[in-house]
Amino acid sequence: MFKGFNNSVMGQTHVRSGIVCQDSSAYKVGNGFAAAVVADGHGSKKHFRSNIGSKAAVEAAIETIEKFYEDPEEFEKNFPKNHKSIIANIEKQLISAWNVKVNEHYKANPVTAKEREKFTDEEFEAIPIESYYGTTLIAAVAGNGYIFGFQIGDGSLVAVFDDGETKMLMDYEESNPANITASMCNANAASMFDSFYVSNKQVLALYVSTDGLYTSFGSEYDFLDYHTIITSQLVNIASFEAAVKNNMAKRTHYGTEDDISLSCVYDEDLVPKVIDAINNKVEENRRIAKERKARLLNK
Amino acid sequence: MSNKNKKKDPAKETAAVKENTSAAESLLDFDDDDPLGATAVSKKSLVIFFMIDTSGSMKGTKMGELNTVMEELIPEIRRVGEADTDVKIAVLTFSTGVKWMYSQPISIEDFEWTRLTAAGVTSMGAAFKELSDRMSRNSFLNSPSLSFAPVIFLMTDGYPSDDYKEGLKSLQANSWYKFGLKAALGIGNEANDDMLAEFTGSKDTVVHAYSGGELAQMIKIVAVTASQIGSKSMTLSDETNQELSEEDVYASKQKLLGQQIQELVGQDDSNPVSFDTGW
Repeated sequence: MFKGFNNSVMGQTHVRSGIVCQDSSAYKVGNGFAAAVVADGHGSKKHFRSNIGSKAAVEAAIETIEKFYEDPEEFEKNFPKNHKSIIANIEKQLISAWNVKVNEHYKANPVTAKEREKFTDEEFEAIPIESYYGTTLIAAVAGNGYIFGFQIGDGSLVAVFDDGETKMLMDYEESNPANITASMCNANAASMFDSFYVSNKQVLALYVSTDGLYTSFGSEYDFLDYHTIITSQLVNIASFEAAVKNNMAKRTHYGTEDDISLSCVYDEDLVPKVIDAINNKVEENRRIAKERKARLLNK
Repeated sequence: MSNKNKKKDPAKETAAVKENTSAAESLLDFDDDDPLGATAVSKKSLVIFFMIDTSGSMKGTKMGELNTVMEELIPEIRRVGEADTDVKIAVLTFSTGVKWMYSQPISIEDFEWTRLTAAGVTSMGAAFKELSDRMSRNSFLNSPSLSFAPVIFLMTDGYPSDDYKEGLKSLQANSWYKFGLKAALGIGNEANDDMLAEFTGSKDTVVHAYSGGELAQMIKIVAVTASQIGSKSMTLSDETNQELSEEDVYASKQKLLGQQIQELVGQDDSNPVSFDTGW
């Protein structure tokens, strides 16, 4: 049986400027699947409703995945053979569902004078409605003996396997210094998704997070170790969840000051069976991190 | 993991979409026993690249002065970063070959200057190529916390002995270079400011030192000003509230660097004793 948890904390920059949190997160353990999803609204001037856009993206992702799993047996009959095209189909339907949601929101909530006052007529007319709601999205799904995921824009997906191996299954988007990210609001959004499918390993936990978490680490090793440590605490998650949220708050406060969201689904039955291997991995990571630091300081 | 054939369970776990509106500060509660404390929080980071000519012509006073001022400079840069930026340093020296002082950019907190010695020719083109290869997410710029385009500071006392244009061409194609803050210091009479302006993209970010006193002054002015501007988050809209592109923001930073360097250089009224007359 899969379980999950999710948290979003507001970034220090947003606290200071009085802007609402642009991130959204959710998880769902459904019929035949467990999914973790996060979205990071762009938050810049022309994306002035991106907090609503990120919420719509997370909801649309969960609803779309749920729809594909309406008949889990039928889904799993086709999925291993045709995972590439089925994932592409999920992405397309998700974009469509997101567009419906944001357009419905727009119709029910026309742009206010306050939202409009920051633009000249020419500028405002040049912005497509979907852009008001611009957001990234990243989703991880565990099914029966396989996992898959997809993302548009930045954000990270980490899998922890039963032997303690902790891995990012999609490359962190090579962001250039201009920090340009792909978005759900792009006209060619369907072609901008990245995805993965793994069927030969037993997953213990899947995590997705917005880039505020990744950028609060000095190295990718530390980022991965962080997920292994959380996994080692899943046996006590009821009490540990508050510590995770507290740590995320600490990370935005002392780190890059961005909103941070983390969503996780994990195999509750498997955790106690492999907990020794995970704890050993945590210790091993700690030792390797010390060695790495010593090596770095050698000229 | 086996979810197959499960009947729909109304009690199955679902989390409503969470948007957190509470200030993160209210959640701060430090606990030494927190297992997650094992992975450090990293501040926004900035890498400063120093490219230093260690060819034979730098021998003597120039190299001695440069070593001294670089040792003094480290605590000053440390103060720039301590508020909210983790400044990292990478030093590339070039003479007959090219060499990094450390194998990766080092946090200013851990950085210790190694005194340099001078010998050989001026392979500046090779240094440009080496810098271009290392300024990548797959190499020196792989830190997740990297938040700013790098500062690149070139110091030389002569004309390149290799084909620098080829190396510069490779560097100019690197997007980190394009968005980075570039500055250069010519040391003594032989350094060619026009060539250095080709590297920085503007004459305003090229300064010249003709004496030991000026060398110390110029290195400090350029390095401290560039780190201050480099680690500054600039708004994406200007005073008329027009949205600026990221490219414009970086261009504004480079322009600001040129203005501030020229202002500070103009205030320097030290009486120079030339490197090339008796030193």
